[in-house]
Formats: sequence, structure tokens, C-alpha cells
Amino acid sequence: MFNQEKIYMPVPQQLGRGDRMGRGPYEKSGIIEDTGLPPGKTVHERFDIMFPTEEVEADGKFVNTPSTYDLNIEVKLWYLPFGTPNADPFLWREFSKTVSISKGGK
Amino acid sequence: MKQRVSDALALLAASALLAGTACAGDKAGVGWQETIVAKSGKAKTLAELAKMYDSSSCVECHQEQHEQSRKSIHSRSIYGTGRTAMTIVSAIENGLMEEPYSGVKSPKDVKVEHLMGCTKCHLPQLADAEDSVAQELVTTLYSWKDALKRKDKAAAEKEEEKLKSISINCLVCHNRNAITHKWQDGYPKAGVVYGSKDGDHPSDKFPKMAASPIMGESIQCGQCHGMGPNLELDEPTQCCTSYGSYLWAYKSEIGQERCQDCHMKKSKLGHNIQSYRDPAMADAAVDFRAETFGYYWRDGADIKPKAVVKVEMLNRSGHAIPDG
Repeated sequence: MFNQEKIYMPVPQQLGRGDRMGRGPYEKSGIIEDTGLPPGKTVHERFDIMFPTEEVEADGKFVNTPSTYDLNIEVKLWYLPFGTPNADPFLWREFSKTVSISKGGK
Repeated sequence: MKQRVSDALALLAASALLAGTACAGDKAGVGWQETIVAKSGKAKTLAELAKMYDSSSCVECHQEQHEQSRKSIHSRSIYGTGRTAMTIVSAIENGLMEEPYSGVKSPKDVKVEHLMGCTKCHLPQLADAEDSVAQELVTTLYSWKDALKRKDKAAAEKEEEKLKSISINCLVCHNRNAITHKWQDGYPKAGVVYGSKDGDHPSDKFPKMAASPIMGESIQCGQCHGMGPNLELDEPTQCCTSYGSYLWAYKSEIGQERCQDCHMKKSKLGHNIQSYRDPAMADAAVDFRAETFGYYWRDGADIKPKAVVKVEMLNRSGHAIPDG
């Protein structure tokens, strides 16, 4: 339903010039930006995930109501030494919780 | 008689000049003639290079450290997990062979100088070898790669073992790279093991030990673990940047611990120097906290229920994560 990735890494500059990212050590010389986790500084992330809704008729009016009242949330921090989930991945941290919203109320 | 003395003096002067020229032709500093490579001459084969920095005798007395270092990826620094070896092949094909002024049209043209972009750190002692060793290394890498392609497991393992015969072993850190400031502290000498103290060392091949001024300092690791582009090379490369991050992000603002404090002492791993592959190191490196809650967001009359996920991550290591 919802999937969002954020990448934390130094972005190497190709041959130390211009706006292209380098990949192999032989072409990396410099950093365009560093989105990695800096030492000693807390990095905050926030994700807003909308519950799925459906339009239903109630008392002659059409209103949006949640099609589910529970969402299973998973957050995973991966270390990807080769930059892709298919090559030597390492699951560093994970969090999971079910978020529920009320069914009653005004 | 007077004439003979003059002739003799002239001859002596000429001898001194020749000797001076021979020294200056290699290095500017004093005492480099005592290094392992100066004493033995450059290696002509991989086997000779392995023998030049052969650490096998260390295990007789330093069993624990040997067992530790064997588990560290330093002990297979050219092969790595296989990915390092493959990246060196990529550096030849996608780097050297595509660079118009490298002089490399095919792997057969690769010389020691060409490989230093990788081996400056993955095999620093390659600088103490002839170009024939660079060729043998390249041939071995390609034979290994071809064997993998053919799914010839026995042949691949044979080449893999050859690649693992040369590495960052005891003598690379405790001799060759044990002194960074050679004009201040002198060149590392053959027959000496550098560590924390001076004295005799009960070994035929290394009868002396000496205190290295940097063995417990971060600069020892920083020699390879990177400041950014290696600008001293004719074609700069960049791999690790963690020493740069350590200096400018950690030491300048955060703390005073050294690489060895976390990677060797607190981890209790000693010479099994690890990072994220060790569960305790990985656990200590990053604090991770997440919370989530749901509520009904209202946009006018429109009801849009949502979940909010908040994540906090604190890197507790002495450098940015990841490295690269």
C-alpha cells in the first residue's frame, strides 16, 4: 500500500568535476553531497501514510470512511554494501507495529 | 709526491659524488636502505612478494592475534569477499582500458603504477614489486574470473588461494606501514617488528622490536581508510573516506576516541578488525528508534485518516556511515 525508501550515502563525484555521480573507485574523486548518517548527530525521518478510504452512502450522503482501521507498519534500516538489495544485504535495524484508528466518534 | 696526493684527493672526491648520486636516485630521505625492499630488492613474482612480507613465523608466538587477524577481511585484502577482486577487474576494464592516456589497451599492459589506485590500500607492498608481479596478479584475477564463468570450482578456488596469499598481514602494519613520518621517525627497518615497545624479539628473521609512534593512533588506519581522492596518483582514485570523516566530522566536533578504541579494544575483537559484519559492532554503531501513531486528519469536511511514522537514528561511531 505504501513503500518509500530513503538512501543514506556519500554521493561521489565523477572525476572531481561536474554534476555526475561516479561509481567505481577509478572514477570517484570528490563528493557531490553526503546524505549518510553523520557521527554524533541525530537524523530524523517522518513518513505520513494515509489510510485507504472508500466512499460509502450513509443517511443519504456520500462520505469517505476508512476501508481498514489497522495498518501494519514496518521500518527497516538496511546496509547495502554494493548499493542494491540483491547483493550482500545486511538488515541493520527494524521496527514493526500495527497502528489502529478508532471506529466510532463524531 | 705532491702530484700523487692531489690525484688521490681527486679520486676520493669523485667516489663521494658517485655514491651521493646513487642514493639520490631512489629516495631523498636517510635510512631507506634499511627497509625490507631495499635489502631484498623488488619482488619479481607473487611468490617472492609473499615471501618478502611472510608473516607465517609470527604465529609461533602470537597464536591468538593470528587467529583474530585470520578472521578479518584484511587477511584477504585483494580477494575480499570476491567483490574486491571483481572490482579490481572493473577498474582495469572500465577504468584503465577506457582512459585514453593510461597506456593500457589490454590487461597485458597493466603495470604496478596502474594498480596502485587499488593496491595503495589493498596491497601496499605491491609498490615493492616489479611490473612482472602486476602482470601475474592481473593474470590470476582473470584466470579466477574465467574459472567462475566456466563454473570450474576447483580452478576458481586455486586462483582464489593465490589471491589470498598476499594480503594486509602482520608485517604490513607492524613493519612496512608502521611509520608514516619517515623523515622524522626513520624508515621501518628489515628485521624489526614495530609495536608498543623497544627491545629484543625472539625471532631469527626479526630479532628486534621497536615502538611505532603511530601503532595506537588513528593515522595508522588512516593510511588506507581514506581522506577522499588519492591525489598523489597520476590518475586519482577514491574508495574509503572514513578517515577524512573521522578528522573533520568526529574529531573536530564530537570526540577523541581512536579507531583502535572501538574496532579493537571495546569490541574485544583485537586483530579481528571488523565493522558492520560483527553483530556487536553493528549494534554499537547506530541507535535506532521509531514510533508510530494514527489519527483522523481533517481537510475541511474531508476526513483523511493517517498513520505517522517517526524515526530517529544516531550514528555513535567516529565517522559517517556508510563509508565510500
